[in-house]
Amino acid sequence: MGIRIDSLAVAYDGHRVIDGLSLTIERGSFFTLLGPSGCGKTTLLRTLAGFVQASAGRVHFGTHDVTQRPAHRRDIGMVFQDYALFPDKTVFDNVAYGLRARRQDESTIQRKVGQALERVGLQGLDKRHPAALSGGQRQRVALARALVIEPQVLLMDEPLSNLDAKLRLQVRQTIADLQAEAGITTVFVTHDQDEALALSHRIGVMNQGRLEQVGTPAQIYREPVSAYVADFVGAANLLPVVLGQPVAAGGSTAVPVGAVEVAAHAPVAVPAGAATLVARPEDITLGTPQPGALNGRVARRQYLGDKTSYRVDLGSGLQLDVDSHGDGHDRFMPGTEVALQLVPRRTLVLGR
Amino acid sequence: MRSDLRSVWFWLTLAALAVLGLFLLLPLFNVLAGSFGGNSGRSGWSLVRQDGKYLTAVVNTLVLGGVVTLLASLIGVPMAYFTARFDFSGKAIVAILPLITLVVPEVIAAQTWLMAFGNNGLVSRALAERGLELPSFYGWFGLITVMTFTYYTYVYIGTLAAIRGFDVQLEEAAQSLGTSPALSRWKVMVPVVLPSVLASALLVFTLVVGNFAVATILSNKVPLLSVLTYQATVSEVGSDPLLQSTLASISVAIVMVVLFLQRWVVGRGRREVVQGRGARAQRLAGWPGVLLGSVAAAVVVISLLPVVTIVVGAFTQARGPVMRWGTWTTANLERVFTRAPDPLFNTLTYAAIATAVGIAFSVAVSYLVVKKRNRLTPLLDYLTALPLALSGTVIGIGLVMSFNTGWLPLTGTGAIIVLAYVVRRLPFGTRNASSTLYNIPDSIEEASISLGVPPLASFFRVVLPLMVPAIVAAAVLTWTTTVAELSASIIVYSGGRETMPIQIFRLIDSGLMAQASAYGLLLVAVIVLPILLATRVFRIDLFASRA
Repeated sequence: MGIRIDSLAVAYDGHRVIDGLSLTIERGSFFTLLGPSGCGKTTLLRTLAGFVQASAGRVHFGTHDVTQRPAHRRDIGMVFQDYALFPDKTVFDNVAYGLRARRQDESTIQRKVGQALERVGLQGLDKRHPAALSGGQRQRVALARALVIEPQVLLMDEPLSNLDAKLRLQVRQTIADLQAEAGITTVFVTHDQDEALALSHRIGVMNQGRLEQVGTPAQIYREPVSAYVADFVGAANLLPVVLGQPVAAGGSTAVPVGAVEVAAHAPVAVPAGAATLVARPEDITLGTPQPGALNGRVARRQYLGDKTSYRVDLGSGLQLDVDSHGDGHDRFMPGTEVALQLVPRRTLVLGR
Repeated sequence: MRSDLRSVWFWLTLAALAVLGLFLLLPLFNVLAGSFGGNSGRSGWSLVRQDGKYLTAVVNTLVLGGVVTLLASLIGVPMAYFTARFDFSGKAIVAILPLITLVVPEVIAAQTWLMAFGNNGLVSRALAERGLELPSFYGWFGLITVMTFTYYTYVYIGTLAAIRGFDVQLEEAAQSLGTSPALSRWKVMVPVVLPSVLASALLVFTLVVGNFAVATILSNKVPLLSVLTYQATVSEVGSDPLLQSTLASISVAIVMVVLFLQRWVVGRGRREVVQGRGARAQRLAGWPGVLLGSVAAAVVVISLLPVVTIVVGAFTQARGPVMRWGTWTTANLERVFTRAPDPLFNTLTYAAIATAVGIAFSVAVSYLVVKKRNRLTPLLDYLTALPLALSGTVIGIGLVMSFNTGWLPLTGTGAIIVLAYVVRRLPFGTRNASSTLYNIPDSIEEASISLGVPPLASFFRVVLPLMVPAIVAAAVLTWTTTVAELSASIIVYSGGRETMPIQIFRLIDSGLMAQASAYGLLLVAVIVLPILLATRVFRIDLFASRA
C-alpha cells in the first residue's frame, strides 16, 4: 500500500516542526527519511504512525485517508530506536502480542511466531526475556514483532543507532532481506547516510521540516540539488564562487577559481552571481604542478591505508580536501607543490 | 487547546484537579482565611500579637528545629560517610537503620523514651539509686533527645545516597592534579554532596516544626507551636477557631519558607555528575575499626531502644500508672483483644481503605503528569506536593473546618479519617509512582498501540504490569506510615473511631504505660509484618525508587 502525504504541517506550541510537506511513497518500496537531529524526520514518522496529530494537511494509506485515524487502527508495524520490547514478557509473548490483539487462534499464533523468529534467526530463544538478549537480538525480536502482524506499512525509527558498528551491518542486512522478501512499504528514519544509501530505493533528505531533495541514492549522492544535501550526504568541498552568467538545468559552465577556470556541471538551473562549487574529495586527483593548472601546496597528510587524505592550500584562504586512491596514493609529503585535477562531470555548481 | 479538549486525558486531569481542589485547597483556604476572623471583627493575628505566649512558642519551635536539625546532622552525616567509605565489624547492623524510622511511630518513640528516662522511668530510677540525678525528661532535654534520635535517619539516608552516587574518579582527578587525598576529598566531594545533605537537614527541620506526638507528650512547660495549635482546636473550654487557624497558618508559613529554601539549595546544587565509579569501601582494621563499629552500634542500639522497651512494657504488670518492672503478665495484651479491640479494627480498616484509594489516585495522577502532559498537569504536579508543606495538625484542622457542616458533612464519619490519611500521604505515593513511570520509556506503550491495542488497554496490558513492584512498595510504605498516623487523625476523629495511635496517645496522657505498650506492640507488628512479607517473601526493594 502506497503512502501519500499532502501539504502536511505539524506544530508544537506554535512552532512548526513539519512545514507544508508533500511526498508520495510507492507501494512496496523502501523509503528513507535522512537528516540531522531536529530536522523533523522523526516527527514525520510519528505522524504517519498516528502518535502525532497533524495540524494541517492529509495522510493517505493507499486510498484511505488516515489523517484522523488513531494509531492502533492504522495497521502499522513499528520498530523503535530503543527496541521497546515488553521487559516482563518472553520473546514469544512479545512477538505474539499483536496477533493476540487481533484475536487469532492459539495454533495460528504458534505457527506465525515460530516462522517470524526463524526469519530473523532467533529460533530457540522464544522463552527468554529481553534482558537476557544482546542488543542485536533485541532489535531482531522487535523486527519480528512488527512484521508478524503483516502490517500495511512498516515504520522504523533509527532502529540501528543503539547497536555497535559490526552488529549494525548485520541487522542492516536482515532488514534489507526481510523488506525485500515481504515487500512491505517501509519508511525508515536515520541520520546515517551510509545506512540510507545502502538500504533505500529512494531517499528524502530533510532540512528544517521540509524535504530538501527526494531521489534514488545515486541521484542524492551524484546530483544533489543544494549545497545542504551535498554537504550532508558524503564529504564535499564547498567553494564560494561567482558566475558570470546563468546556467540551465543539466548544463555545464566554466567557473573561475582563483586564477584558473574549472569545468562544472549544474544538476539544476543556477542564476548568475554568487554560487557554490561542489567537489567531492575522491573526485579530485593530484599531480605535479604545471603552469595554467589549479596549483596548491599540501598542508596536511593523513595516511589511512586504502587511501590518503590530503588538505591542499590554494592560497588566498581557499583549501580543498583530496582523497587519493591507487598506487602510491601516499607519495605527496606536506609542503609539496601539487596540481589539482577536478573530474568535470562530477564537479557541480549549485545556487547559493 | 481544541485538541486538548478532545482528549480523555485532559478531562481526567480536570477531574483530578477538582478532587484536589475540594479536599486539599478548600481546607487550606479555610485555614488561612479563618485567621482573619469572621463576623466578630477580631483578627487572629492581633490576638497572637497581644499574648507573648504565642511569640515564645514560635521562637521555641524555631530553636528546637534548629538544634534538632544540627544534632541529627552531626550524627547522620558522619555515619553515612563512614558506612559508605569504610568496612568495619558490625556494619551490617547499620544497614537496617532506614527500617527503624518506619517501624517505630513517633508516638511510640516518645512513649518508650519516657518509660526509660521519665520521672518513674527504668533508667532514671536505676541512676537515681546510684545517686545520679538526670534533668527532667519533660521539656527541652526530652524534646531534643527524642527528636534527634527519631530524625537523624533522614539525614543519614539522604547523605548516604549522595555519597554513593559520587564518582570517585573526580577525587582521583583532583589528586592527579596535585592535591593531597584528604584535601581532594574536601574540595571535590563536599561541594557535590552538600546540597543533598542540606536538603535532608531542611526536611528534618520541617518535620520538627510539624511534629505533634513527641512535642505534645514531652513539651510540658515549653510552649510549642504545634502543641498550642492542637490545644486551641480541642480545648475543653471550647475550641477557638480564630486562634487555631492563625497558629496553623504560622506553621504553614514557616514550613513553606523552609521548603522553598530547600528547593533553592537543591536547584543550585544540581550538577550533572556523570555516571561514575562508586568508591570501594576501605577496610578499617584494628582499633579505628572497633571504635567506629562500637559508635555505630551504640547509635543503632539507642534507635532500637523503643522496640525493646515496647515489648518489655507490653508484658510488664502494672497497677494503674505504676509499672512493676520485672513481673510479667499477658493481661495487657489480653485486654486489648478482648475488652477493647476497636482501635485495632479501626486502624486496619481506615488504613486499608486509605492505602487502596491513595495508591490508585497516585498512580492515576502520576500517569497524567509523566505520560500525558497537557497545560494543566504542571498544576496537578504542584498540588500533589502541597501536603508536604502542611503538618498533620493543619490538614486535620482544615478538613474539620471544611466538612463539619454544609453539603458534605463528613465530621463524625470514618471517611474524614481516611481522607486525612490520603491527603497526608499523597506526595509520597505520587513521587514513588512518578519515578517508576519516568523509567518506563514511552516507546513501550507506543509499541503496544502500534500493534493494534487501544491506548487505555495498552496502559493496563504493558505499563501497569511493569509498575507492580513499585506499586507494592508504595502500598507497603503508605500502609506503614498510615497505620501510625496521629496528628491529623486525632483532630478529625470522633468517639468510637479511635485508631491505635490515638488510643496510645490517650493512654500515655493518662499515664497508663503498660496498656499503651500493648497497643504499641500490636501497632509495630501491624507495621512490620507487611514489610517482612514484601522484602523477604516477594523480595521487593522498598527504597528502590526513593532518590
